[in-house]
Formats: sequence, structure tokens, C-alpha cells
Amino acid sequence: MIDKNAFLGKRVLVTGATGFIGGRLTERLALEYGAHVKAFVTNFANAARISRFAIEMVQGTVTSRSDVLRAAEGCDIIFHCAYGNRGTDEERRQVNVGGTQNILDAALQVRASRMVHVSTMIVYGTAIDGDLDESMPLCYSGASYADTKIDAEKLIFNYGKTKGLPVTIIQPTAVYGPFAPSWTVNVIEKMKRHRLILVNGGNGLANPVYIDDLIDAMLLASYEEKAVGEAFLISGGERITWHDLYKRYEAMIGEPSTVNMSIDQVKAHYKSSLKAEFFLTEFFSIMRDQPMIRRRLLKTFPLATIKKISEPILKKYRNSSGKKNSSPVLAKLDKTESVEKPIQVLNPLMLEFFSVKTNVKIDKARQLLKYSPRFDFKTGMNITEKWARWANMVNYDL
Amino acid sequence: MNKLKLGIFGCGKVTESLHLPVALQSNAFEVTCLVDTHFSRAEKLAQQYGISSVSNDYHKILNEVDAVILATPNHLHAPMTIDLLQRGVHVLVEKPMALVSSDCEKMVLAAKHSNCVLAVGLVRRFYAVSQFVKKIIDNRLLGDICDFDFQEGSIFSWKVTSDFMFRKEAGGGVLADTGIHTLDLLLWWLGDVNDVRYFDDFAGGVEADCRISLKLKNGASGIVELSRLRNMRNTYIITGERGTLEVGNRFNAEISLHLKGHAQVLKGSILTHGQPDRSMHEVFDKQLNDFAIAIKNGTQPFVSGDEGQRAVKLIDDCRSVRESLIYPWSVPVDHPEVCQ
Repeated sequence: MIDKNAFLGKRVLVTGATGFIGGRLTERLALEYGAHVKAFVTNFANAARISRFAIEMVQGTVTSRSDVLRAAEGCDIIFHCAYGNRGTDEERRQVNVGGTQNILDAALQVRASRMVHVSTMIVYGTAIDGDLDESMPLCYSGASYADTKIDAEKLIFNYGKTKGLPVTIIQPTAVYGPFAPSWTVNVIEKMKRHRLILVNGGNGLANPVYIDDLIDAMLLASYEEKAVGEAFLISGGERITWHDLYKRYEAMIGEPSTVNMSIDQVKAHYKSSLKAEFFLTEFFSIMRDQPMIRRRLLKTFPLATIKKISEPILKKYRNSSGKKNSSPVLAKLDKTESVEKPIQVLNPLMLEFFSVKTNVKIDKARQLLKYSPRFDFKTGMNITEKWARWANMVNYDL
Repeated sequence: MNKLKLGIFGCGKVTESLHLPVALQSNAFEVTCLVDTHFSRAEKLAQQYGISSVSNDYHKILNEVDAVILATPNHLHAPMTIDLLQRGVHVLVEKPMALVSSDCEKMVLAAKHSNCVLAVGLVRRFYAVSQFVKKIIDNRLLGDICDFDFQEGSIFSWKVTSDFMFRKEAGGGVLADTGIHTLDLLLWWLGDVNDVRYFDDFAGGVEADCRISLKLKNGASGIVELSRLRNMRNTYIITGERGTLEVGNRFNAEISLHLKGHAQVLKGSILTHGQPDRSMHEVFDKQLNDFAIAIKNGTQPFVSGDEGQRAVKLIDDCRSVRESLIYPWSVPVDHPEVCQ
């Protein structure tokens, strides 16, 4: 259990506060724990979700030392959830490693009682078949996200040791729940247009964790004495396969949205899909179904030009396609026959990730953090479904 | 005839992309000055378009204007409008005309006393589509209106440069920001409200999602849902005794009309002289032109202060009966009902 008074009136800095994890952390700190949250915001366009709380928003970027220091001023606890998810590899590195350095310096300067850093289980690589715990070596993979997270972790522990800054690292697994981009929103959005591949029938382990369990772990990590200088893997603690996870989303969508494939079949399917035709279809379907991406893409110069020329054609295309989320009035009237959805193309680089049976152990978190997941898969998914219906991601009148 | 001297106060995005370019093309107005408390912003636009007078204090240039487009931050609309009207300056004020309806009343009174024009920039009323819907309903093509279902919202992604949109000075959250348009069209099309229930997700900041349940004086009832957190249907559905009309809320949206008891649906865009609304520039031009005609003829503009006040009043009423929206995924999890 989390100490109800641990955050009362405390000044808490949250970086990445407009994101999924930082956003929910901000929400719970403000609503449940009466903390004085300083939300570090890089882009106010993403701030609508946290704007409904009585919090302080501080604009800046983690790559600016002065921005970070200004934000950290007077803060007792610092949660570092920001990471680089755009730009070149070098730009991401600057955010993930350089930004972390700035946070550490600021935490030391303001004498923060704890700096909690959100990392990822991917720092151990994606090839572990069997039990995974924190004693496993960190494993560089060549992928920018994972590698920069490893470098950030090394930096943090080294800094903690040499400068005496109390630091704790949290390594979440596949985080799902309301607003979760990777393991909720993207899966549902993809499933609406495609059948997703269950590699080897989906018998690999997904290790999902419901967002609020992760937040619990982060909150515990910010004051438990035994957490200082430690890293903790955080999962939901159940043996859940990709089959379990995808089938649950498929049930929300209410139509066949998965397909079983062997590794060889995935590779063959990938090969056959490498045709221009496929990319065009894919492009149009993204342009049609993803308004956020569409708007962003259409602002780039080449596409703005193409848009001018192709507007009439696109319009025709839009009109002719039976749009899923169209109005209930029309949906009732022009029910088109359902056509089997195309199979999603899975890059063979992802095969290992989806086929291994990594069993993430959370014994260390249970022991030192007193972490105990409160949401079993069934409960977490039921809440997630309620949210997805509210968010109009799946049909609300089903 | 001499052109009217026009000042544009507030040089934010809407001025830069719409008010100013449109006014520069106007036959009725000559843009004589730009005002912004950020002097450099006004100066940059003035240089770009060759406007001679720039100021960060509008009091200094009052002798240079007959009329003003007021596009300052929302909380300044009321005091500046009243001041300008009292000094004999005609005002086209951006929406919302004020943050509370008591201020609207003062603005309307000020316009009456000064014999100046007060027009409100509820630009969606100038869309050909909006006017067509109004005609359909007024001509009773749907018969008596029974119910309605208005949804507007998408995951917020405006390129805002500050947290202003999320501060209370902006007048609140999605209810004031998006709702001013949605509710204005609803009131204009369907008439005044008898009873309101209002729910939002305010938790100390500004609301990001809300639900309004309305009963109208004409007996119709329905729901308005507004959101910055989710992608909504983004259409207005109006059902009368003879059929259902659905209209999108985007620019140049299509209309669909379904007659009761028939399988067929009429669906398409609204044309004026064979043309759809071509651009927001064109619509803003209509609005500015209407403002000019009202000044010249001493008549009421298409969207007067009295009209502009209606949605502000409804927003006031919503706030006064506010109830909380409870999100099952947001509340502390000790609540057992969540976990079913």
C-alpha cells in the first residue's frame, strides 16, 4: 500500500507530464495524493489531458539545463518520464541521455530526496527465453530507444554513487490501459484496419502491466528507503501470452482481427508485401483513418503540394470508403458487407520479441518496494475497454 | 465613398491568418493600425503589409480608427469593447464576446447608448451550410423538432505556444472554447433553452470533456458532448417529426437528410451560385462586409451583441448547475464498482 501522506503538499516535478505515463502519474498525484505537481511541458498542444487538474505547468525542454533547473526549483521528488520519441537518433540520444544528465544535475542542486527514472525492460534485450530478473546484464541491441535507455541507466547509477543522489530506476514491461499508446491505442487502431499476426499462435509472453500498477510502483519507488540505487522490473505478475492480449482486444472490436502464423509464414508474408502497391494502400488508409498523422503530414511541403493536386481524388476515395466511425444515422442505413481485413505486415526484426517466452520476475519489487499489482489482466482490460468505448475507439453502441 | 478606418487589436494567429489579410482586401475598410501588447508582433505584421501605425497601447491611436476588430485574449473582450463603444468606435469582437453574460449585457447597453455597431465574430453562422440548416428548420421541413445530438471534439493538438488555452483567463476549457460555436449554432437553429444539466471533468484546472443535457422551450431535448480528449463523431444530428438532418461541423461539411420511413438519404454539399464556401477567407470576408454594411446603414449586424450573448448565457447556466463527470478509470481504485 502506498502511504497516503507521502506526497501531501510536497512539490513534485514530473517530466514527460503530457505523455501517457507522466500524465497518469500527474493525475494520481494531484487527485489522490494532494501533491503540488509541477508538470514539465515541452509542447502545450499535448497538455489538454493534464489541464483539468490544479497543477503548475512549466514550459521547457529537458535538453536545456536552465529550463530543467527552473522547473526543478523547490521540488522534493523528481519523476523523469520524458524521453525522445521523435527526430533523428542523435536528437533522441540528446533527450534520453543528455536530458537525463540535466535532470540529475538539477536534482542534486535542489537537493531532491529522490529521482525516479522510467526506463524499460528492453534494456535487457528481447531474446530472453525464460525467467528475467534485474540480475541479468544490460544488453545493447543497436536500436536507439533501448540503447539510449541503457546509457541513461548507467549514467544515473554512476551519478547516484559518486554524488550521493538518491536515484531509483523503474523498468516497465508492456504498459496498457487508458491512453496507452503502444499496447492499447495502437493495437486497437491497427486491428480496426488489419488482422494482426499471432506469431506461433501467440504463445510468446506479453508481460502486460496495467498503468495504475506501474504508477503504484513509481510512487513507492519515490520514498521507499530500500529503493535507493536500485532498478526494478515492473509487470502485472501474471503469465499472459500475446494470444491472451490480442484476443481481448479482438473481442472489443467485435470482428476477426487476428491471424495465426508460423515464423516462416510471417517472413514470407513480409516478403510478398514489399510492393509499392501495398505502401500506397497503407498510406491512403493512414491518411484516411488517422486525423492526427494526416494533419501533421499534410503540413510538410511535398505533401502540401500533393494535397492541392490530389484533393479531388482523395475526396472521392474518402466518400467511397465505408468509414467505420461514421455517423450512427448513416451506419444504420448504408451497411456494407464486411470484407475480411488485410493482414498486418510484421517486420521480421520483431519476430523474436513476439515469440520468446520471457517470464518477467517482480520478486525484487515485491520485496523492496512492497509492490503488489492490484489489477489482474481481466480487471485491467475491463477498465481499458470502458475507456476505449468512451474514447470512441471502438463502437460505443455495441 | 471614403473607406472606414479600421484598427485590428490583438495580433495573434487569427489576425495574422484571417482578419488582417481579409481586411486588406476589403473595399469598405482601410487598415490604419495594428495593436498588440507584444509590440514586436504587431510591428512585424505592420511591416509585412505596409501598415503605418503600430502601438502597444490602443488608447494612443483611438483617433486613427472608426472601427475595430477586437481579437485580444478572451478576458479583455468585455472591458475593451465597452471602452471602445463609449468612445464612438464600432467593434467586431471575436468570440466569445465576454466570459460571463453580465458583461455581455453591459456591452450591448454600451452599443445602444453610443449608437455604434457591436458585431460578434461567431463566424460559423456565415457558413453556407449553417444558413441552409437554419432555413430547413425555420421552414419546418423537418416539422417540429423532437431531439438532437451534437458531438464535437478531437484529441487536442492545436499548436499553442503557451498554456493560455488551459488557464482560467481563457474563460475555461472545452465548454467555452469549442462550446461557444456549438452552442451558438444550436441556439440559433433550434431556439432557447428551458432546462439544462451539465457534467464535466474539471478537477481544479479547466474542463477537457463535458456533456450537456438540454430541454428547449419548443419541447425538443437532446445532448451536446464536447471534448479535447477523444475523437468525436463531429456532427450535429437534428431529428424532427418528419425526418433527421445530420451536418458535420467542419468547414464546408456535408449535410445528410433522411426522411422518416424512407430508406433513402440525401447527402451532399451546400452550394451558393453553384459554389461551395471556398475558404475561411471568404467566410471572414462575408463577416467583415456585414460589419461594414451595419456601420454604413446604422442597422444591426448579422450577429449582434444580443445574438452573441445567447451562448455565453448558456455557458453561464451550465457552470451554475455543474456536476462531475466520473471516469471509471480515473477514480481511486478502492472503489470496487470499477473492477467489475
